[in-house]
Amino acid sequence: MTAVFQPTDPAQATTAAATPAASLSSRLWVNTRGMLTPSVIAGLAILGLFVVIAIIGPYIAPDDPSATTAAILQGPSLHHLLGTTQTGQDVLSELLVGTRASMLVAFLAGAVATALAVLIGTASGLIGGLADELLSVLTNIFLVIPALPLAIVLAAYIPNGGEIALVIVISATGWSWSARVIRVQALSLRKRDYVLAARASGESRMRLIFVDTVPDLLPVIAIQFLSLVLFAILTEAGLAFLGLGGTGSWSWGNMLYWASEDTAWSQGAWWWFVPPGLCIALVGTSLALINFGADEVLNPRLRSARIARSNRASAAEPPSSAAGPELGAGPAAGDSDADVLLEVRNFTVTYRTDDGAVRAVRDVSFDLHRGEVLGIAGESGCGKTTLAYAICQIQRPPAVIEGGSLLYRPRADAAAPVDLLTMTAEDRSKYRWEEMAVVFQSAMNSLNPVIDVQNQLTDSLTSHRPDWTKQERNARAAEVLAMVGISGSRLHSYPHELSGGMRQRVAIAMALVLEPSIVIMDEPTTALDVVVQREIIEQLTELRHALKFSVIFITHDLSLLFEFADRIAVMYAGSIVELGKADRLYRQPAHPYTLGLGTCFPNVSGPLKTVRGIPGSPPDLRSLPDACPFEPRCGYRLPVCGTRQPQLTFGRPPLHDQTLVACFLHDPEQAASLPAGLIPGQASNA
Amino acid sequence: MRYYARRVGFYLLAAWAAITINFLLPRLMPGNPVEVLLARLKGHLSPQATNALEIQFGLAHHTSLVHEYVSYLNQLAHGQLGISITYFPTPVSTVIGEALPWTVFLVGFATIISFIVGTLLGIIVGWKRGSRLDVLLPATTFLSAVPYFWLALLAVLLFGYVLKWFPTSGGFGLTDTIGFNLPFIESAISHAVLPAVTIILASIAGWVLSMRNMMVTVLGEDYVALAEAKGLPRRRIIMTYGARNAILPNVANFALSLGFIVSGAILTEAVFAYPGIGYLLFEAVSNEDFPLAQAIFLVITIAVLVANLLADVVYGMLDPRARQGEA
Ligand SMILES: Nc1ncnc2c1ncn2[C@@H]1O[C@H](COP(=O)(O)OP(=O)(O)OP(=O)(O)O)[C@@H](O)[C@H]1O
Ligand code: SF4
Ligand SMILES: [Mg+2]
Repeated sequence: MTAVFQPTDPAQATTAAATPAASLSSRLWVNTRGMLTPSVIAGLAILGLFVVIAIIGPYIAPDDPSATTAAILQGPSLHHLLGTTQTGQDVLSELLVGTRASMLVAFLAGAVATALAVLIGTASGLIGGLADELLSVLTNIFLVIPALPLAIVLAAYIPNGGEIALVIVISATGWSWSARVIRVQALSLRKRDYVLAARASGESRMRLIFVDTVPDLLPVIAIQFLSLVLFAILTEAGLAFLGLGGTGSWSWGNMLYWASEDTAWSQGAWWWFVPPGLCIALVGTSLALINFGADEVLNPRLRSARIARSNRASAAEPPSSAAGPELGAGPAAGDSDADVLLEVRNFTVTYRTDDGAVRAVRDVSFDLHRGEVLGIAGESGCGKTTLAYAICQIQRPPAVIEGGSLLYRPRADAAAPVDLLTMTAEDRSKYRWEEMAVVFQSAMNSLNPVIDVQNQLTDSLTSHRPDWTKQERNARAAEVLAMVGISGSRLHSYPHELSGGMRQRVAIAMALVLEPSIVIMDEPTTALDVVVQREIIEQLTELRHALKFSVIFITHDLSLLFEFADRIAVMYAGSIVELGKADRLYRQPAHPYTLGLGTCFPNVSGPLKTVRGIPGSPPDLRSLPDACPFEPRCGYRLPVCGTRQPQLTFGRPPLHDQTLVACFLHDPEQAASLPAGLIPGQASNA
Repeated sequence: MRYYARRVGFYLLAAWAAITINFLLPRLMPGNPVEVLLARLKGHLSPQATNALEIQFGLAHHTSLVHEYVSYLNQLAHGQLGISITYFPTPVSTVIGEALPWTVFLVGFATIISFIVGTLLGIIVGWKRGSRLDVLLPATTFLSAVPYFWLALLAVLLFGYVLKWFPTSGGFGLTDTIGFNLPFIESAISHAVLPAVTIILASIAGWVLSMRNMMVTVLGEDYVALAEAKGLPRRRIIMTYGARNAILPNVANFALSLGFIVSGAILTEAVFAYPGIGYLLFEAVSNEDFPLAQAIFLVITIAVLVANLLADVVYGMLDPRARQGEA
């Protein structure tokens, strides 16, 4: 092995592993950019308007709000735009002047309560131990004691305390929920190594809390601040409405108090109490809208739900399968169609995100043969899981199947294959699990935490074998559990009561319940330790011989596939770059990327190879240039590599005619310009 | 079982904390309005009642704090909450005893309806995420920020004043005799309609929004994707895989929501002059009736704690992890 990958700038290799602090704050900035959703913009606009009114309100008020006139209880008119009160005061003026006091109390109380919550929450989360116990009990106690009754009693003791008293009362009763949220966040930060490191180096606790952690907590704190302002504005209004707001000054709550004291409604004087309430509700809405947007940022699934909306229209029609099975007879050369169980053609899946389309699966075509194990290998992020989900048609928004076809041939002699993408919903739910089952990457997440193992094993039987009795179903559940080596006594366990390995076995048992012909396994063993991994793989091998199902086995561990798979497809940046028999891929990797992947793992049988990853990182799937996607990392690159994409075609001899490679090194047109010994898969490996 | 024992223990602790806050409040506050009050009532109160009030409000100058605290706890244990000023000389416990059933009936009923309907709506809007139903979200957000009592004022204006559909004040007709008779029940129900609708409307948006967001989050979980891949009926996917998990935080955070609802209900009662303890609290603070106000705070807190304990029992039934004392 002479030519290796070109050395890359070490700085480039480490960018991915930048310090957590840096990555977090950069994430924060990226988030802020994505945060300006329509709801956030609307919220900020409304809030901004009220802040402006709070500042200029007293100056633009047409009248003195306290000045009484003879024009009592008049409806809106040109003279009094919002009418007058029982004592002839101008409602609009009261409203404009009152905005300042209401907003001031709300923001001040919000700030004080947030400070309190941050102090207690971070101290509790970061110090840990007894302090945490005590502080979180305190927090929880204040959480279950209803805030307003306490605030009312408190405020009753300080009837003339004015705004300051209100701020104190509101913040003293409102901080607890936020403290709890912040504590949870701080706890998770505490686990982060850099905080621990700071601790080890003897920094003082206060420094630990305020210098290292608070900046990372900022997004959470900001959200809590907004919630507390909302709480404050509602509590202030409530207290004022009960006459506890200090009746000396004007605020929205006070207006409502006077309106209700003078029974404005019984005189139909809606103009008196509708405007202040509307103002409170609008400010509240603006804060809630901003929070809603922030939630979307912190919880990507909420964001996808919004994006799904805009995609729905375009994704409504099923992708055209007219794309033409370009590889129709190609990859199956030598095999008859009868051998093909599942035919994937030009399959393309895209995540339509705010920042553009992530093309996670691009133009993928392959056949799954009857009874074979087809391995799919590739680095993290190359689209393996996306492909697995999309083949099962359970892709989550914002993922959309953009095109391609999925043909299933249930029996060797069946003339017409079933088009999985266009079948009716009813047919699809019959086909699912009966013909194709799936085992996910993380077993903990693929089991429903609130129902027991038996229930999860039998519910597919209930819907697919409606004529079975309950006893039959339960017996079958016990039977498949036994197949994966788990005792029947576990039937009534809940997922959290099982070990990681057991959960994964349950997930496999679940896939086998209906004896499907295809089982897709997405890294079924990656999260497990090597011994358990081994056991499960051996068990799978046995089961496959006994039950004769075909497997699509997804992993980033190429060496595992060399043992377990019949054929292997290597994926890079969303497309297949090499596809061929496992033993051939092992002996003669043809694509430079396959070669690089192979060196990632110690090879027990062969000569000792260096254990290292491929320098550099995969390309951004949002903006793929029209070039070989591997080009920046490839040690073999040719001039042509930067100008267009290589197609997945047969390699030149002596590669077998069943091997497909997407690399110009194997393109006959480029052959002339290549030094013979250099081409991977053609040079002897010794 | 350990889970429940721990929860009960916590609520006992919280109840003790509330009692202690109640004891300390008048002692910590600047000036003591009760002193003025006692002076005003001099001659109208029996020596025992005066003594009891002094202990309650920290006016017994010659005794130690610990001694006062013990006597205070002792009085509480015997159900002695002092004497109401507003309804002088009726004991506070009697006044509250008459008002409490009204509130439990009104707020309990409204909370249950709002929780059930709001949760169901949240499930639907969450499942249909990204559909036209999402246009409901801004409106729901607005509703969630509306103060209860303002909604109550609007209801009074519209249905009481303009349309005259329902009575707008009190809990029953003045001519009715309280008891188990048809006219009284009819009148009680018609008086409860507007306050109940107000509380339901004002609180439902919170349930819808949080359930919708949790639903969307849970629907992104692998186990829901797997349930789809299994070809399970949609109903089972939505309910057993989606909603069963999505509802957990709502039940777990019931305390917070209940606190808001009870707070809103107090103000709503005040608007409708509904004869519950919310209105009573309003009267108490208007009349500087501190014995009554503090006792109501205590009673509301304990009622909320009991409701929370019930929510915890439900949570334990819903989440196997909690039962084992993990969560
Ligand atoms: N919801 C999403 N929105 C946007 N992009 C996504 C989303 N989910 C995945 N992606 C992107 O799609 C690409 C493929 O992701 P996928 O999960 O399929 O990778 P993978 O090969 O399974 O990786 P791993 O080995 O880590 O499981 C990644 O680049 C990822 O960043
Ligand atoms: S096409 Fe060029 S850049 Fe891409 S893998 Fe082959 S040699 Fe490397
Ligand atoms: Mg994956």
